[in-house]
Amino acid sequence: MASAPLKAQLTDLLNSMFAMDFLDEQFKELQMLEEASGPGFLAEVVTLFCGDAERIISQLSVLLNEPVVDFGKVDANVHQLKGSSSSVGAKRVALVCVKFRNVCQENDKEGCIAALHEIRHEFDELHKKFQTMVQLEQQIQVLDSKQMN
Amino acid sequence: MASGRVVKALVVDDKYLIRKIYGTMLVRLGFEVTEAEDGEVAVNYFVEGNEYDLVLMDKEMKVMNGVEAIRTLKTMGVKEKMVAITSDESCNEAFLEAGVDAFLTKPVKFAELTSVLKTFDLLN
Repeated sequence: MASAPLKAQLTDLLNSMFAMDFLDEQFKELQMLEEASGPGFLAEVVTLFCGDAERIISQLSVLLNEPVVDFGKVDANVHQLKGSSSSVGAKRVALVCVKFRNVCQENDKEGCIAALHEIRHEFDELHKKFQTMVQLEQQIQVLDSKQMN
Repeated sequence: MASGRVVKALVVDDKYLIRKIYGTMLVRLGFEVTEAEDGEVAVNYFVEGNEYDLVLMDKEMKVMNGVEAIRTLKTMGVKEKMVAITSDESCNEAFLEAGVDAFLTKPVKFAELTSVLKTFDLLN
């Protein structure tokens, strides 16, 4: 099957993401749901997550650049990001969100800025891997469809 | 529960991503799913005469939060099963006082959702 090498690549990518704690068991829940609901579900979910995360991280940057930081709003945004990241199994992002909330609750602006940098780094790394994952899935689908026709 | 009857669920959360995930879980379990982006929309669905067998309710939503929505629905006499989706147990007391039937903690696992729905006899 023409898509076999790409499927192997995708498997290797996902295995490495789990091994490096980019992903946790919740992502396996989503993989199981894709098996039931058909191709495209995972791609849609990770795309939605990445869009949400990007928006929240931008908002956090704005909030932390204010002369007087509203730590309540910062916390609310981080709470949202934690919820989204844990719901898709984005383990490292979710863990940094926990650290972020701790420093936020101490009204520690410098700590929040450092945590935001860390979230940005973790999210960017995860985002690149998710983009590769989605591209591989799309290529596999195209090849498998051609094979069937 | 009689087999063949359509079971309906209302998923209430302000994040489309979360509604998508829970909605897909419920479709896999045989539910027909409707979504609401906040508590007020959920309440209005019932006011309009819609009926659901199950409501999954998030807590933090901008227009009407989950606790207030459940309290309102119970006051209206809605008897369908209501499950609160919480981030941690600190939210549980308020939901209990509002009249929720069960809790699930984020991130929700398919097996946990199935287990709760079995206790309500909502699965074919």
